[in-house]
Amino acid sequence: MSLLAIRDLTRRFGGLVAVDGVSFDVHEGTIKAVIGPNGAGKSTLFNLMTGFDRPDAGAVSFDGRDIVGMRPHKVVAAGISRTFQNTQLFEELTALENVLVGMHTRLRTGLVGGALRMPWTVAEERRALERASYLLRLVGAEQYAQTHAADIPHGMRRLLEIARALAAEPRLLLLDEPAAGLNNFETQSLSKTLYKIRDEGVTLVVVEHDMGLVMEVSEEIVVIDQGRKIAEGPPLLIQKDAAVIEAYLGEEGAYV
Amino acid sequence: MGTVAPRIRFVLFAAASVVIASVPFLTDDRYLLKILTFVGLNAIVVAGLALLLGFAGQISMGHAAFFGLGAYTSAYLTTAHEVPWLLAVAAGTLLAATGGLLLALPSLRLKGHYLAMATLGFNEIMSVLFVEMRGITGGNDGLSGIPFPSIGSFVIDSPAAIYILVWAVAALAFVGAANLVRTRPGRAMRALHGSELGALASGVNTVGLKVQVFAVSAALAGLAGALYAHSVGFISPSQFSLEFSILLVAMVVVGGTGSLTGPFIAAVALTLLQYVHALIPGLSKDAAALIQDWEVDISGLIMILTVIFVPGGLAAFLKRRRSGAGEEGEIA
Ligand SMILES: Nc1ncnc2c1ncn2[C@@H]1O[C@H](COP(=O)(O)OP(=O)(O)OP(=O)(O)O)[C@@H](O)[C@H]1O
Ligand SMILES: [Mg+2]
Repeated sequence: MSLLAIRDLTRRFGGLVAVDGVSFDVHEGTIKAVIGPNGAGKSTLFNLMTGFDRPDAGAVSFDGRDIVGMRPHKVVAAGISRTFQNTQLFEELTALENVLVGMHTRLRTGLVGGALRMPWTVAEERRALERASYLLRLVGAEQYAQTHAADIPHGMRRLLEIARALAAEPRLLLLDEPAAGLNNFETQSLSKTLYKIRDEGVTLVVVEHDMGLVMEVSEEIVVIDQGRKIAEGPPLLIQKDAAVIEAYLGEEGAYV
Repeated sequence: MGTVAPRIRFVLFAAASVVIASVPFLTDDRYLLKILTFVGLNAIVVAGLALLLGFAGQISMGHAAFFGLGAYTSAYLTTAHEVPWLLAVAAGTLLAATGGLLLALPSLRLKGHYLAMATLGFNEIMSVLFVEMRGITGGNDGLSGIPFPSIGSFVIDSPAAIYILVWAVAALAFVGAANLVRTRPGRAMRALHGSELGALASGVNTVGLKVQVFAVSAALAGLAGALYAHSVGFISPSQFSLEFSILLVAMVVVGGTGSLTGPFIAAVALTLLQYVHALIPGLSKDAAALIQDWEVDISGLIMILTVIFVPGGLAAFLKRRRSGAGEEGEIA
């Protein structure tokens, strides 16, 4: 059984069908890429998979459980984390604190325990700090641990958002254009990080325009155009797919 | 989260505690003690409002109403029904918390100016109720003969004892708030302030959190209000007006967002400003009267100047000083 099963997912905005009857599966332990021209409906798809938006029709089942209509924080608790195309960091918090917030669903301290600073609160905080530091190292952002997110360079911000998403200990991680605005070097280290994350047992779905990265890291690609899935398969086949080439040439020249 | 900063913070806290605790030993001026008790009461409210506004980023222009709710509840229960003081104060605090839950509802849909307007409306409605519910509140005449705090046969009736009671509560409120903002719930509040989308994606139940923070913040205001009623013995609607709400917001704004130290200092300064005539002996009558007449305007002006010239408030100022000394990323 697949970890994530999307069936006939549809989302309309007025007359526009942003996601149009899309179905696909994501298997545990794999990296899947979702590609498509601007406005194809990729981010909308992510929103539908994470409770930030509700579909007009269709189903999203995660580990056999229907998650449509779940509120975003419940989806996180269920095991799906995400990043945003426009990073949504907490600018006034340090990198370390950003990651600690990401651990929210994995920590227990409530208002009373926090205010009274109970012994178990202190112990939990210590464990949390250790794990947060580990995650910063995993994405290579440890030197910014005490820097406010607002003062962290762009490429690092994307990695920090990934570390924050990982802090929730997700089984499925959704990344919306993680390479956007990264230089070649940063993109290279991103692909290494993605492998590391997968090797920790996390399944990934990556929306990305950088075809180099997509071809390198993904085992399977889903291609979306104008809300519809037009192709699905391994990178080598997708590269040769006539409909895919057509969709991209029709837009703004050869990506592939 | 360096290792030095918590120590500095601890030293500051200890020093402030010693100064505050020694006041009753240095003076027996009843009026001065009363003024300083008011400072402590405002500090309690500001601890809660700083959590709500400065950390969670949710505005409330209705905190005077919560203060009033706590005051009237406790005053009514002790005068009309002879409920024990401790129970009455607990009831006042709880009722204010419930009011906070209700006021949290608009915050789930409204942001910024719209939330400000909604909470402002709440304050006005409560002001009217304080006048109109004569059977309980005594209308415009207010309630008088409110007993001193007492537990069993032990009565806290001297200005010095009341001063100590209020400041002990204020110290607890600040220690609690300071602990809170450094652990999971407090970080979630700051996250909510920073990016609601990011908070949701981090698994924070933003709806539940807003409701909780409003309730806690209102509870602290209610608690301060109840203590106020029993320390002055008389309350009337004008004491819980919108003007007071605005003054409280000014304290947090001038003190700075994401800070407790800043709002605390601002609470002390802006409260004392109301009583300059009593504090500065040489001050001429005219000057004192002038300041008293314009006190709200002066607070407002300070708030406006802060927003324009030091958007981060006192806290940003303190932080800049300290990061100059090689630290950063601290909650002042
Ligand atoms: N909340 C919304 N209301 C109305 N239309 C929307 C909304 N969100 C997305 N759309 C529209 O739906 C379509 C798909 O948008 P989406 O952001 O999912 O595309 P995308 O594939 O992520 O594009 P990009 O590569 O530029 O990020 C676009 O035409 C967009 O304008
Ligand atoms: Mg997008």
